[in-house]
Amino acid sequence: MKKLLYLLLAGCIVFFLAACTASEDAGEDTGTENEVEAEEGETDSTESESATDGKVLRINNGTEPTSLDPSIGFDAVSWDPLNNLMEGLTRLDTEHQAGPGAAESWDVSEDGLTYTFHLREDANWSNGDPVVAADFEHAWKYMLDPETASPAAFLAYFIEGAEAYNSGEGSVDDVKVTAVDEKTLEVVLEAPTGFFLDLLTNPAFFPINHKVAEENPDWHAEANTFVGNGPFKLDSWNHDEEMVLVKNEHYWDADAVKLDQVHIAMINDSNTQYQMFEAGELDTASIPAELSDQLIDGDNVFIGPYGGLEFFRFNIEMEPFQNKKIRQAFSHAINRDDIAEFVVKNGVEPAYGFINPGYTSPTGEDFREANGDLVSFDPEKAKQLLEEGMAEEGYDELPPITLTYNTSDTNKAVAEAIHGMFKEHLDVEVKLENLEWNVFAEAQQALELQFSRSSFINDYNDPVNFLESFVTDSYMNRTGFSSPEYDELISKGKTEVDEEKRWEYLYEAEKMLADEMIATPLRYYNTVVLEAEGVEGILRHPVGYFDLKYADKN
Amino acid sequence: MLKYILKKLLIMLFTLWIIITLTFVLMVSVPGSPFNSESSSNEIVQQNLEKHYNLDKPMHIQYLLYLKSVVTFDFGPSIKQPNQTVNDLLGRGFPISAELGIVTIIVALISGITLGILAALRHNRIIDYAAMAIAVLGISIPNFILATLLIQQLSVNWGIFPVATWKSWSHMVLPVLALATGPMAIIARLTRSTMLEVLTQDYIKMARAKGLAPWKIIVKHALRNALMPVVTIMGTLFVGIMTGSFVIEQIFAIPGMGKYFVESINHRDFPVIMGTTVFYSSFLIIMLFLVDIAYGILDPRIKVNNKEGD
Repeated sequence: MKKLLYLLLAGCIVFFLAACTASEDAGEDTGTENEVEAEEGETDSTESESATDGKVLRINNGTEPTSLDPSIGFDAVSWDPLNNLMEGLTRLDTEHQAGPGAAESWDVSEDGLTYTFHLREDANWSNGDPVVAADFEHAWKYMLDPETASPAAFLAYFIEGAEAYNSGEGSVDDVKVTAVDEKTLEVVLEAPTGFFLDLLTNPAFFPINHKVAEENPDWHAEANTFVGNGPFKLDSWNHDEEMVLVKNEHYWDADAVKLDQVHIAMINDSNTQYQMFEAGELDTASIPAELSDQLIDGDNVFIGPYGGLEFFRFNIEMEPFQNKKIRQAFSHAINRDDIAEFVVKNGVEPAYGFINPGYTSPTGEDFREANGDLVSFDPEKAKQLLEEGMAEEGYDELPPITLTYNTSDTNKAVAEAIHGMFKEHLDVEVKLENLEWNVFAEAQQALELQFSRSSFINDYNDPVNFLESFVTDSYMNRTGFSSPEYDELISKGKTEVDEEKRWEYLYEAEKMLADEMIATPLRYYNTVVLEAEGVEGILRHPVGYFDLKYADKN
Repeated sequence: MLKYILKKLLIMLFTLWIIITLTFVLMVSVPGSPFNSESSSNEIVQQNLEKHYNLDKPMHIQYLLYLKSVVTFDFGPSIKQPNQTVNDLLGRGFPISAELGIVTIIVALISGITLGILAALRHNRIIDYAAMAIAVLGISIPNFILATLLIQQLSVNWGIFPVATWKSWSHMVLPVLALATGPMAIIARLTRSTMLEVLTQDYIKMARAKGLAPWKIIVKHALRNALMPVVTIMGTLFVGIMTGSFVIEQIFAIPGMGKYFVESINHRDFPVIMGTTVFYSSFLIIMLFLVDIAYGILDPRIKVNNKEGD
């Protein structure tokens, strides 16, 4: 019998070895399908382990970018790689202001309508082609083509003829973007737009090498066909696994770029990416929610503002929120400090206005400071307003109220906290309801929700971006709010040539929004990142995407 | 036999058609669209997007388009990742999931059967208890917990294996261990109980009486019968590992198929939902069919022809 056991053991070992060989074979099998990529991947991993590669930064993108076609990839996971692979006419500088990018300088006509951009002589594509004005013309017209179905197209509606073309009514020839000569681009706007240069930093406005794109419309899908004009170029791209960026020697400011390689992993699990950071396999990571309390005060934590707001929308077409005082009462009953500090945590700031801090006015003030606190936590006032509102509507009892949020742990915790605050300060029992994101978004859009959670992430660096959401019939409105007065303020806030006056209109608009209490702000978003020792110079702009141009690793 | 296979094939096609139709009906009746995102948007942009992906067409046209895409096995581009066709995603993800699945099954089979045999031969002794303790642990610890434990100990604390991603064989060890433990435990328990039963049978006593070498009795006579229940569960087990590895793939950042299968539904990425459903259901049906055939080969008492009456 003993013999038999030994035999079994031996057999087991043989089988195990066989299994290992089998697995290696299997690995090769998948490799042959994509031989070039696999080989590249292997050499990369061995190279990067030796020190000969220079400075290598390892970061995580979370998921595969939606698309590296600048007109299609309209989300953070696409913007972050794109912003380092390409460059628009302007680029956000270290002060988060729009500075010269592919354009060296520009002239604005006196009426504020015509922008003439002068491209750099030494602006080049990663394949060596010069970046020409026609590349921008091509890219923007491609974005506006209704056939392209670009989710970012609406950002370009400031350009004359753009909206008509994108909606299928106008013609491409009427879009006023013209390559005057190789290095001069002329853009005519629909109306003066004070923040147009900021808008141009959004990846949607990046150029596309028109020669490459005409030859191969799918140039952006793989690393070997991708052509960019940014500080880095795409060296390899194993979809859903990893992208490797290397320094682009054709970039006009290549001397400023310190990193030699950037490895962008796609790890979706927040614990895994943290463990990889712990094990030294990643240089930056986010903090998993359950570890927030332990890690947030560490020396290696970067906390910065992020242009976005979490808020709740009132549906003013549903009882009892047609009444302004009742809306205000609910807003006054929310203790935002507590929610930020004890519920959301992670160092977020409570919001007492709609526009997050970080927008500098023409007179050098911060928008938020200049316009002050517009909402407050005041239980006494809340109670009083509720009584007044109920009297106005003739309610003896408040109609039932449902608070709806899209399913997530944090949203649930916030909703429960608010539920408790309404109960405590207003003696109102609201019902909580959670819906899967897509179902939720659909219902909110159709004005089927009474009181619902919302978030807004800025697309460009101007307060009007958020405030514009609430003009009559806007796709982003979702409250039923419609006020000619507000519409007027926003329209002036977009087109006024005198910047100081323009900001006055925006201050006005935000105050009106808070007074009408169409939505109640809760907290601002922020960026919280763990950075390994020696990592420095990563620019994390409050609006948009991070920039590795000046990043370094020692 | 041929007639049986043909008939089975027809039933398989019919089942597939029902699955496709049901999936389509469910897909369009769930509220939401693939273009709901937290980013800003406007009506024109939404219309252009719907037009681009044929979602503005009447339902029956959309249904026919889907049927066409199934027949030609060309599901078009994913909506979430428009640069990739569904075939690209499947072609890339499936070999990786399959690799993980096959290695896992092999490891689970070998270790499971070995444990089972050892336990049966040393019935009610230390080895038996140890093997069964391992098996009970394996069944009761969910694989995602085991995965996190393994990462924390073996990768973060001891630095033996990389934490995650899918690059070399050393990246494979932890996910395979995490994924194989459950099936291994099931196989071990099954093997042990059937082995115990078989070992008391008369023909084994007969073989012993004839003076055959013990290992010959085990391998040639006992094992063959003891493995029948294991074969029975192999089909579902394999499909279960292949489809159920989503969590493990997520934890270890393995670019397999599980992600597309689950996330496409959250994103309402209709072509990918359709593609993965058709692919997985065909896979499941074929696996079960193969198990049916394997029965006949392993156990001559079961004749596939007899099943025609079913």
